[in-house]
Amino acid sequence: MAGVAMLDDPAATLESRRRREFRRMVVVSAVLHLSALGVAVSRPAPRAIAAPAAISVELVSDPTKPSRPAAAVRPPAPAPKPKPAKKVLPARPTQPKPKAQPKPAPERKEVVIEPKPKQEKSLEDLLADFREEQGESAPPAASPTATAAVPTPGAPGGTARVSPEVADWMRRAKIHVKRAWVVPPGFRNELLTTHVVVKLDGQGNVVGTPEIARRSGNPWYDEGVVRGIQKASPLPPPPEPGDWDFVFIPEDAY
Amino acid sequence: MGATLRWLCGIGMALAAGVGLVASAAHAQSDRVPIIVTPGAAKTYRFAQQLFADRSARPDPEAIHSFHDAVADALEYSGVFQRIDQKAFLGPETTQALEGGPPVLCSDWTQIGADALIEGEITRDAEGFSVVARVWDTVRCKDLVRKRYRQPISADPDIVARRLADSIVEAFTGTMGVSATEIAFVSDRSGNKEIYVMNADGSAARAATANRSINNFPGWSPDADAIVYTSYRYMNEAHLFVSSRGARRPGRLLPGLNRAQYRAVFDPSGRRLAAVISDGSAPDLYLLDADGGNLRRLTRTRAIEVSPSWSPDGKRLVFVSDKTGSPQLYIMNVDGGSVRRLTYDGSYNTAPCWSPDGQWIAYETRVGGQFDIWLIDPEGAVNVPLVTHGRSDEGPSWAPDSRKLAFSSTRRGRADIYVIDRDGSNLRRLTSGAGNNTSPAWGPYPR
Repeated sequence: MAGVAMLDDPAATLESRRRREFRRMVVVSAVLHLSALGVAVSRPAPRAIAAPAAISVELVSDPTKPSRPAAAVRPPAPAPKPKPAKKVLPARPTQPKPKAQPKPAPERKEVVIEPKPKQEKSLEDLLADFREEQGESAPPAASPTATAAVPTPGAPGGTARVSPEVADWMRRAKIHVKRAWVVPPGFRNELLTTHVVVKLDGQGNVVGTPEIARRSGNPWYDEGVVRGIQKASPLPPPPEPGDWDFVFIPEDAY
Repeated sequence: MGATLRWLCGIGMALAAGVGLVASAAHAQSDRVPIIVTPGAAKTYRFAQQLFADRSARPDPEAIHSFHDAVADALEYSGVFQRIDQKAFLGPETTQALEGGPPVLCSDWTQIGADALIEGEITRDAEGFSVVARVWDTVRCKDLVRKRYRQPISADPDIVARRLADSIVEAFTGTMGVSATEIAFVSDRSGNKEIYVMNADGSAARAATANRSINNFPGWSPDADAIVYTSYRYMNEAHLFVSSRGARRPGRLLPGLNRAQYRAVFDPSGRRLAAVISDGSAPDLYLLDADGGNLRRLTRTRAIEVSPSWSPDGKRLVFVSDKTGSPQLYIMNVDGGSVRRLTYDGSYNTAPCWSPDGQWIAYETRVGGQFDIWLIDPEGAVNVPLVTHGRSDEGPSWAPDSRKLAFSSTRRGRADIYVIDRDGSNLRRLTSGAGNNTSPAWGPYPR
């Protein structure tokens, strides 16, 4: 009878539908994220790091014909930039601009397409940023069963369970590597993603050469990533020695 | 009920797919959660450069130091490198020997924060000036670049220094540095508007014209051999001229044509030019061969069509037309077809310059009473300011690496030439002193 009563009550019916819909979306979302995580992790992992072909060139210059590298050593064309479905033109100022106006970086198309100004950051985010800048770790999770959400490359917003201790180390390792990684202006905000598997010993030393599991398509960027990881050694001692995955994305606002 | 069934079926199939993928993923690798790393503040590699060993019969310490500084300056010009003071070195300050010397101890260099070590040898003798250099990726302790240069003893050693620096930039970024390129521009420092050429860092400015007339709008041939420009030196009217330091015939480009010729730009192959010519009414765009022959008209409107700039594949032109009442950017095929308006925002958009990598078109747009430089992609989807200032920034010209631009600005009062990175950073003034310096044209890579 209760069911009938609920069916007779439009508000209750709506609420019930909403809950069903929510449960359904949660399950679908979880499945999709799991699938995407699976795709991301199951990508073939080439073993060797291919050095850019340009690197060990010996060249004798002719004074009348100054040296230039052969066209063959040029990097592969970068991945095409995303194009929004419709034209998005930032509003033009109608008055002369104040001198202090910030200059948007030209490459940061995402900023133009889906503006996510930093001012909209929550207090928590700002606090996290400040801690990160200060080299501090995140406060410990409230509950030992809490989960730390770490976005995965294939599934933005996806979640996976790691213990608070591991999450804390990951955060400190990230800050440490971030500081060592040099990203010249030409690489910033490009569509480049490099996935590296790094073997760490108990003290955080990088053992051997990090293995590139997924290349970005730009060998110079990939080399810079490996350089950054090696320069960061030793990392903070990991929760356990072994292989750890790092994904390098040259997008400041990720 | 039907919906529920469909939903259950969908979930089932998705679960099956998901489980399968996760299973295969677990088999292939692991289910580790990756650490996502985004860029921090570090934008420049730090390099330690040894003084190169002098292998000449008569050593010249001053020349060694001068070459050392020229390499360092050129590396820092790239915006990719930053020098480490020699006082901080733990390893030797001077290269001992490239071959057969003691091994390089990379830890000596990584300890002082060096990402790169540059070592080399210089020889000056009757045969000329020669440099051998080796560059280490100190972090990975990897011999990254070996270069050998030789030039006549009379030539400027800084040319070799800049080429070496540009190749080091390439080894670390995949894109050649541009310190060895040149920039042509217009200056009235002598009292007349003449064409000048300077190094990309602003040094060694020298006059390319001295005809005491009005000269404007220099444009390079892609082999860096010639500059085409507009001059009023003949009959006091606008004609196109070519200044060549090589094989091209200097002088008037279109000697038989007595129509006003306002500007010309070489196509990327160097075989053709797009030109702005007026038959007495509003100027139109024309195409002609590099020798001045085969002149054909591309636009035929009552409006003004000016400022052509080639796409890097030489198949399209971006230009300015005021046919809708205000100057706006348009793109058309090189046969004059498929004309498409590119800019819809702003009431005065002009001076487009297509980047050599094809990704951006820089142009100037009027804001209030002055101009700012903006970047728009060739599809018109993204339109962003490069640099904004209370004074006018005008005439953008891309460096051949598509990472830097030159432009002129009146931010100091008089017009000067500046360079800036594509992301709006590393602004640097190149000209100083008397006169207005305008209309920069960044030359190609040297051959």
